Amino acid sequence: MAGGPPKALPSTGPHSLRDMPHPLAGSSSEEAVGGDSTPSPDLLMARSFGDKDLILPNGGTPAGTSSPASSSSLLNRLQLDDDIDGETRDLFVVVDDPKKHVCTMETYITYRITTKSTRVEFDLPEYSVRRRYQDFDWLRSKLEESQPTHLIPPLPEKFVVKGVVDRFSEEFVETRRKALDKFLKRITDHPVLSFNEHFNIFLTAKDLNIYKKQGIALLTRMGESVKHVTGGYKLRTRPLEFAAIGDYLDTFALKLGTIDRIAQRIIKEEIEYLVELREYGPVYSTWSALEGELAEPLEGVSACIGNCSTALEELTDDMTEDFLPVLREYILYSDSMKSVLKKRDQVQAEYEAKLEAVALRKEDRPKVPADVEKCQDRMECFNADLKADMERWQNNKRQDFRQLLMGMADKNIQYYEKCLMAWESIIPLLQEKQEAKFPVTAVLS
Amino acid sequence: MEQATPDPERQLQPAPLEPLGRSDAGLGVTVDEEAERAREEGSGGDTMTHNNFWLKKIEISVSEAEKRTGRNAMNMQETYTAYLIETRSVEHTDGQSVLTDSLWRRYSEFELLRNYLLVYYPHIVVPPLPEKRAEFVWHKLSADNMDPDFVERRRIGLENFLLRIASHPILCRDKIFYLFLTQEGNWKETVNETGFQLKADSRLKALNATFRVKNPDKRFTDLKHYSDELQSVISHLLRVRARVADRLYGVYKVHGNYGRVFSEWSAIEKEMGDGLQSAGHHMDVYASSIDDILEDEEHYADQLKEYLFYAEALRAVCRKHELMQYDLEIAAQDLASKKQQCEELATGTVRTFSLKGMTTKLFGQETPEQREARIKVLEEQINEGEQQLKSKNLEGREFVKNAWADIERFKEQKNRDLKEALISYAVMQISMCKKGIQVWTNAKECFSKM
Repeated sequence: MAGGPPKALPSTGPHSLRDMPHPLAGSSSEEAVGGDSTPSPDLLMARSFGDKDLILPNGGTPAGTSSPASSSSLLNRLQLDDDIDGETRDLFVVVDDPKKHVCTMETYITYRITTKSTRVEFDLPEYSVRRRYQDFDWLRSKLEESQPTHLIPPLPEKFVVKGVVDRFSEEFVETRRKALDKFLKRITDHPVLSFNEHFNIFLTAKDLNIYKKQGIALLTRMGESVKHVTGGYKLRTRPLEFAAIGDYLDTFALKLGTIDRIAQRIIKEEIEYLVELREYGPVYSTWSALEGELAEPLEGVSACIGNCSTALEELTDDMTEDFLPVLREYILYSDSMKSVLKKRDQVQAEYEAKLEAVALRKEDRPKVPADVEKCQDRMECFNADLKADMERWQNNKRQDFRQLLMGMADKNIQYYEKCLMAWESIIPLLQEKQEAKFPVTAVLS
Repeated sequence: MEQATPDPERQLQPAPLEPLGRSDAGLGVTVDEEAERAREEGSGGDTMTHNNFWLKKIEISVSEAEKRTGRNAMNMQETYTAYLIETRSVEHTDGQSVLTDSLWRRYSEFELLRNYLLVYYPHIVVPPLPEKRAEFVWHKLSADNMDPDFVERRRIGLENFLLRIASHPILCRDKIFYLFLTQEGNWKETVNETGFQLKADSRLKALNATFRVKNPDKRFTDLKHYSDELQSVISHLLRVRARVADRLYGVYKVHGNYGRVFSEWSAIEKEMGDGLQSAGHHMDVYASSIDDILEDEEHYADQLKEYLFYAEALRAVCRKHELMQYDLEIAAQDLASKKQQCEELATGTVRTFSLKGMTTKLFGQETPEQREARIKVLEEQINEGEQQLKSKNLEGREFVKNAWADIERFKEQKNRDLKEALISYAVMQISMCKKGIQVWTNAKECFSKM
């Protein structure tokens, strides 16, 4: 972490910001937006409650205002450390217990969301609500709207196009539940998103539809601000670091796409292999019925192949349910990240255009007009948030892929171990001296 | 066919000159005794050496295969493969082997040998040849007869064929077989001079011919059914196995793509790069491991194929029995009808229809002298017929006895061989599983370092 405001300690239970006297109360610039290098405190919550905080881009505080101590203590309370480990975590969310609801108009699945928190933002220590997919979709749109400078985690796909997938099958519902759980956990882990009001309502409201209907404008300042950025300006050059992120995401998505295709192809080949195995095993049984001394060994081989077939089926199911969806999620993730990058470009483009316009006016006043300053702050805030999120994302991605790929290796190991056990157990059967059997049908007994 | 005097050093006796049906009572006994002795001397599972009755061992190997060009019967150029057969005699005392004979033969000569053995030993389950054309191939293997893998597998199959004959208590003593191993030039002429083609019963080849046999030996009927079913089930097994091999090949090879994409991905990553790259390498190893695995499995398929073809040999023995039984029944029928005719002529009653009887009715009675003459002829025929029936009966019984003895021997061999084949197949599968565990464990470790 670079210099700037002192590194914040993990917060253990911030007071409601409404209660705190603002050190800079009375200062004029409401619009000032500050930020510094990663990780930056996001003061959007403060703004949404009308509090003002002023940290100028160069890191200092406006002259004549609050002492560094109080602003830093405010920062301490507002800023949450990125690396939230188990002990300091104060918000836990779990998605489980899918249930089918059959109504006259439609049938759908709801999931139970259990929240446990010591945060002040929650009136109760524990909540349990039921939500369906469209509620998650609503939450995500709201987050995108209200936190445009941040990377919002992806949702599992809305519709499943491939093949004839049963929306209500156990496997599909379980896969979706895991993805939705992951979605909420990613938000929970985010120091800014986890404090979002929409998120809070999602977790706690008895009836979400009321809030949806009221369309409560819980937009943050930043959300409003970015929303109004006109897209008409063309960015000349992306700053190096964001260009690098853009290139990275492009290649990343490409490689993931290839891996997805390979994984699908492997599953397809394995399923075709399975089909043949299921015909192969029983032929040994048929043969066994003709024989006397060889009957048991042949039957044993048949059973063995049957066991291997079952193991293979388990492998393909696992890969379909656990591996592919996570890959797809990351592809969606990188797509949405690229949109955020574009938005950032727009913000920068607007700023640069306005700055240029001012420069051309050749006015004497060196003072930068307010609206240009506004653009600059907006841009710098965006940059800071994005950089912070990118780093967080990179870390999580590394962990997620390590887990995903280790899981894939594990499943294959388990498959081979099952087959190995089957074949090893049959060796003694094949080797033992058979007592000559005299079944009526067998000829050469 | 020339009758070479048995060479005590060569340890092989001349082939019987007539098919096993005439004056074979003594030979049959001898065969049984010697078959017993062969079993005692442990000619069973040992594939490389053959213990014959004078306690000298010979080793046979088909050691090389060579492409040749030559002119065929129609004076056209053709390409064929020739196989080198080497025979070694092993001195019992010091175990040293001495190369005694070495000659080249092509597949058609092996076929000739087998066809000869089929005619002269109809009561023996004659070992089959490896397939003429590659069948039950999965996509990677070539179906081309000139393909080196096919030629190699055929070489092994031909060697196996010769070893089977050499370890058979009866077949090993055949002179033509001996000459096959020792007399390069002129061997074809020698075989043809036996006139075996003439002795061959064309009815045996006619698969469609049905014989309404009234009293076949039930064991042979059951055995024929068994051999039909065995053929059917092994064919099915080989077909599906080929498809299984094909699919398995696909699964392994696609994993190779991971190697490439992990490598490309690792280029844009910092901490994850090394782990990805090395895991990719293991995926390549995995993909290439299937080639050896499937090659080993071909050996198993070949073992099954041998018994697929053996089923055909089994059926041939059964059909021979049927034919003999049929001939016997026809002869008995014929004899009975002649006796009847004779009786009618003697007593003057006409019970059976005969052309003579009809013409007599139409054109008048015959004279007593004519009748006497006819009775005499019939009596002679009846005598002859009775003799023939007696010998046919004897033939039939001998055949059944000897054939069943060989079938018992074959049964033991089959059970032994197929058990071995299944065990080695299981061992192959175990090895494949262990390799898979190893590769994925290595990959997992690389992933853990990401």
